[in-house]
Parts: sequence; C-alpha cells; structure tokens
Amino acid sequence: MAAAAQAPAAAKVVVATSPRAGGGGGGGGDRKVVPVVVAAAAGDEAQSEMHVLAVDDSSVDRAVIAKILRSSKYRVTTVESATRALELLCLGLVPNVNMIITDYWMPGMTGYELLKRVKESSQLKEIPVVIMSSENVPNRISRCLEEGAEDFLLKPVRPSDVSRLCSRIR
Amino acid sequence: MAAAALRDQLTALLSSMFSQGLVDEQFQQLQMLQDEGGTPGFVSEVVTLFCDDADRIINEIATLLEQPVVNFDKVDAYVHQLKGSSASVGAQKVKFTCMQFRQFCQDKSRDGCLMALAVVRNDFYDLRNKFQTMLQLEQQIQAYDPKQQ
Repeated sequence: MAAAAQAPAAAKVVVATSPRAGGGGGGGGDRKVVPVVVAAAAGDEAQSEMHVLAVDDSSVDRAVIAKILRSSKYRVTTVESATRALELLCLGLVPNVNMIITDYWMPGMTGYELLKRVKESSQLKEIPVVIMSSENVPNRISRCLEEGAEDFLLKPVRPSDVSRLCSRIR
Repeated sequence: MAAAALRDQLTALLSSMFSQGLVDEQFQQLQMLQDEGGTPGFVSEVVTLFCDDADRIINEIATLLEQPVVNFDKVDAYVHQLKGSSASVGAQKVKFTCMQFRQFCQDKSRDGCLMALAVVRNDFYDLRNKFQTMLQLEQQIQAYDPKQQ
C-alpha cells in the first residue's frame, strides 16, 4: 500500500473505478504500472487498449503467444528478433506499448539484452518486460528479475499465465 | 449423417493421438483457445507452422551430421529449437525425443545423434500424417456446415 502513495492522483482514480482492482490490487501494489493505467481508459475497455509487443524467433511460438494475448483482449504486435523490437521501440514505430513479452534465448540479441537496453533507456524504462524461456534455470530467472523484468514465464506459455499477468499489469 | 460420421472419426483420431502420447495438454489448450475465440483456422495455422519449421530443422540437422567434422553445438541449437516448437504445439513425443537427442549432442556422439535423428524424423512424420488427416477431416466437416467456417 505504501507504493500507492507514489502514484499520481489521476492513476489512483482509475484504479478505484476498476471493478477488479479491489480484490487483486494487493499483489500488484509495488509494480510500476502507472503509465499503463494513465494511458488506458477505465474498466474493461482498459484491457482492450493494452498493446503488447511480443518478441520471439520461433514462428510457432509467435503465433501461440499472440493468440493467447489476443484472447485476453490485448492488442499484439509480433516481431522475430530483439534487434527489430528495439529498433521499432526507439524509432517510435510501435507507439503506446504497454508491455513487452520476449523470449530469453534468440540468435543475435537475447531477450535478456533487450531487457537491459529497455531498462537503461529513459524513454522506455517504464514499459514492463516479461521474459519467457523453455528452460527452468534459477539463476537465469533471478538475473532477469534483478534487471527489472516484470515476470518470468516458462514455456510453453499457458492462457492461465497470461490471465495472471493481465490482472497485474493494467 | 455423413457429417456426424466424420465428427466421430475426428474424435477417435484425436483421442488416439492423446492416448499414444503424440500430443499433450498443450495441444488441448490450443484447441480450447480456438473454440473459445471463435477462430476456426488457429490450430490449423499453428500446426502448419510447426510442420514447416520441424521439416526445415530436421533437414538442417541432417546436413550438419553429414559434415566430416560435426559442429555439435550447432546441432544442439537446432534440436533446442525443435524442442521449443514441439512444446508450444503440444507435440509431446517429438519433444521427448528432442530431449534425448540433446544428450547425444552434449556427449558429442555422431552415432548417437544419427540414431536420434532417425527417431525424431520417424516420430515427426508419424505426427504430421495424423495432423494432415485431422485437418482434412475438419475441412470436410466444415464443408457440411458452412456456419462453422
């Protein structure tokens, strides 16, 4: 609850009117979701406005993650590499991205490097970054979380993982 | 009547794919996503992407294993990719074979890798045949009931 005091008044108003904020608000209290909440409209429409950039080198994984996110009413843009994602973000070609969800291991720039670049950038650092990986390597997971990742999802990603994210990032 | 018979055939095919362990609950999740979202082409799209991807990767691995000096790290990277795609589509048997395959890559065993490649290829072709039959049955069923299209 201490974190709520840091949020601007406008964000608090939106949170208060959101039907699901009362029950599940506690878990996400310390998350930096302020820009997301401010940008989105209240209630259910907030979710339909959410725009996610999904980054994965596997075409199968891109199709699956995009479908899961869309079924949770996210708007989704998919790209096949971290380099391309960074390019689009820095050039502002995908404006109003509310979340980045990226594979960890990709040829060229990895998802971990993308996370670091986003968190280093004053322009992008507020965007929550979620890392996905097929390998359950504990120190990889803690390294990502230390660098500011919002969450770490094991692949294959399930619809239930995304609904959990949904209730937190809004 | 004919549509009902096709549906029975499809149900029987799917349950045999589950009971033989060819596909797992991830595949069921994809089917549920398709049904709930009212997007009939989704499973077909993912299955087609998987088959194209797996076919390409298996050919790449075969080429690498033919080299006089095998780059096992490269083979392992491809097997890892195939394992990832299999897991995402719920192709359980191919995924398990990939896990064994990676052990041979780490042991740098060419014979082991060649054997694992033969198994993975066999498992994949078997699954692809079943997927193709499944998609054909779905198309035939939809042809009877244009509302589902």
